[in-house]
Amino acid sequence: MARVLRLPGTALVAALAAVPVATPQARDEPLSIALSTRHIEINSSFTGTSILLFGAVGAEGDVVVTVRGPEAPMVVRRKRRAAGIWINRDSVAFRDVPQYYAVASSRPLAEVAPAALRARERLGADRLPLEAIWIRTDDDADAFRDALRRHKRRETLYRPDVGRVAFIDEALFRTALAFPANVPTGDYRVEARLVRDGRVLSVRSTTLRVEKGGFSAEVSAFARAEEALYGLVAIALALVAGWLGGFAFRKG
Amino acid sequence: MDIYLPIAEIPVNALILLALGGGVGLVSGMFGVGGGFLTTPLLIFLGVTPSVAVGTGTNLIIASSVSGTMAHWRRGNVDFLVGALFSGGGIGGAWLGTFVFRLLSEAGQIDLVIALSYVLFLAVVGFLMGAESVTATMRKRRTLRRKAHYHTWIHGLPLKLRFRRSGLYVSAIPLVVVGFLMGIVASLMGVGGGFFMIPAMIYLIGIPTSVVVGTSLFGIIVISTVSCFAHAVNNHNVDVILGLLLAVGAVVGAQYGTRIGSRIRAEHLRGLLALLVLAVCARLAWSLAATPDDPFAVAPFGAG
Repeated sequence: MARVLRLPGTALVAALAAVPVATPQARDEPLSIALSTRHIEINSSFTGTSILLFGAVGAEGDVVVTVRGPEAPMVVRRKRRAAGIWINRDSVAFRDVPQYYAVASSRPLAEVAPAALRARERLGADRLPLEAIWIRTDDDADAFRDALRRHKRRETLYRPDVGRVAFIDEALFRTALAFPANVPTGDYRVEARLVRDGRVLSVRSTTLRVEKGGFSAEVSAFARAEEALYGLVAIALALVAGWLGGFAFRKG
Repeated sequence: MDIYLPIAEIPVNALILLALGGGVGLVSGMFGVGGGFLTTPLLIFLGVTPSVAVGTGTNLIIASSVSGTMAHWRRGNVDFLVGALFSGGGIGGAWLGTFVFRLLSEAGQIDLVIALSYVLFLAVVGFLMGAESVTATMRKRRTLRRKAHYHTWIHGLPLKLRFRRSGLYVSAIPLVVVGFLMGIVASLMGVGGGFFMIPAMIYLIGIPTSVVVGTSLFGIIVISTVSCFAHAVNNHNVDVILGLLLAVGAVVGAQYGTRIGSRIRAEHLRGLLALLVLAVCARLAWSLAATPDDPFAVAPFGAG
């Protein structure tokens, strides 16, 4: 279990030593990555955070970093006007929708990777496949797919901009990965690709866990695990609050 | 001071919640209403999902009706037999209501149903109260002589019981039925439902006005307790932190509301409340009728 590390940006060596580095595969160019922390805790004062990814390459090329959040099925519904009000009518459900997606690269993505490569390697939120479970509309499901991406972008969970991977020298690079206040909990996969001449030379990946921590995590875990007891506690607290209020103001 | 609400899953400024609770408490103290009908729409405007707004609303109502019931209890204004029959029906209704709530969530229609029922019902309450306030202001000198209560077909039903505190001899059936309907409304909308229960008690059953508020508050505690429990178990939409912050504000606000309320004439007070209710109603109606920025809405699969 990784501990929470708060490292200054310069502590590259320490970061590389503290976090397990993805093992290199045979017959590819050297590439190593490490995160400043592999554990993000959402506590009651969480308003978003940013972590650093460091890496080193052993050959010339561009670096593309992707972060994919946990996957979950989602339903997209479309409102239609009926009798003067807007009502949910058609819907499309999608399986395995990444709840978070971000990409960063050392040069603009279109220059680094041609369209075919971006499609094959699923680079960029618009390249996520988003497979439908069911389609309950007479129209094209693509409109619903776009709506899902738009919704995620609005929630800043599909990062609208391609982040910048900065080279410190020929070998070392770094990038900041931003996680907003509403970041979903779960396991994240961080991948780095070394790309040259439209070809992926090597891929490394590591994982990151986002968890609720502190008081709010305990409350929400308790509400799910012991739902009846949670209900009773909620009722008891409300009764006490009301009773105390009535008691405190009785004479005033 | 932002705090992360564990069930609503959004960070909200705690001071805003205290102020919101205080405002709702002020209104409920001024007008002698529960204020649940304001809490749910206001929480929705704040960005809380309608589902969590309703579930947490049931929690807040427990807190805000306890102190009121205590005061009435001390004065002996609670008819516990009537309250028990109401509650009996209410428990069934609340459970059915939360079950229907879950089905509607899964069908993706719960937000619409919540908004529509609020619009409908705030419009009716607002117009009735407004009309009554206007007529009362116009002929405030004239006093109407009323019978203790009217005899209707309700009083011909079987299973009659004697209610000593209310001085009544009526059937238990309408009490249980009204309680049952109350339970459904309370659990679907996150309201206590006093505005609905009090007229039903007075006009349908003939319970004297002296015990009607205390007795209905007692019924509301039981029904909101059951709704809150059922929501916590079936829908996981009760946020204790949100509920407590609102409750603290509401309890304090209610005390000041009562003081302000006692300085304003009753018919003017009702007129003000009618305006407030109609304003909330108009805002919700607008959100249903206006062309949405994005006709698409995204939700986790299998939930609202």
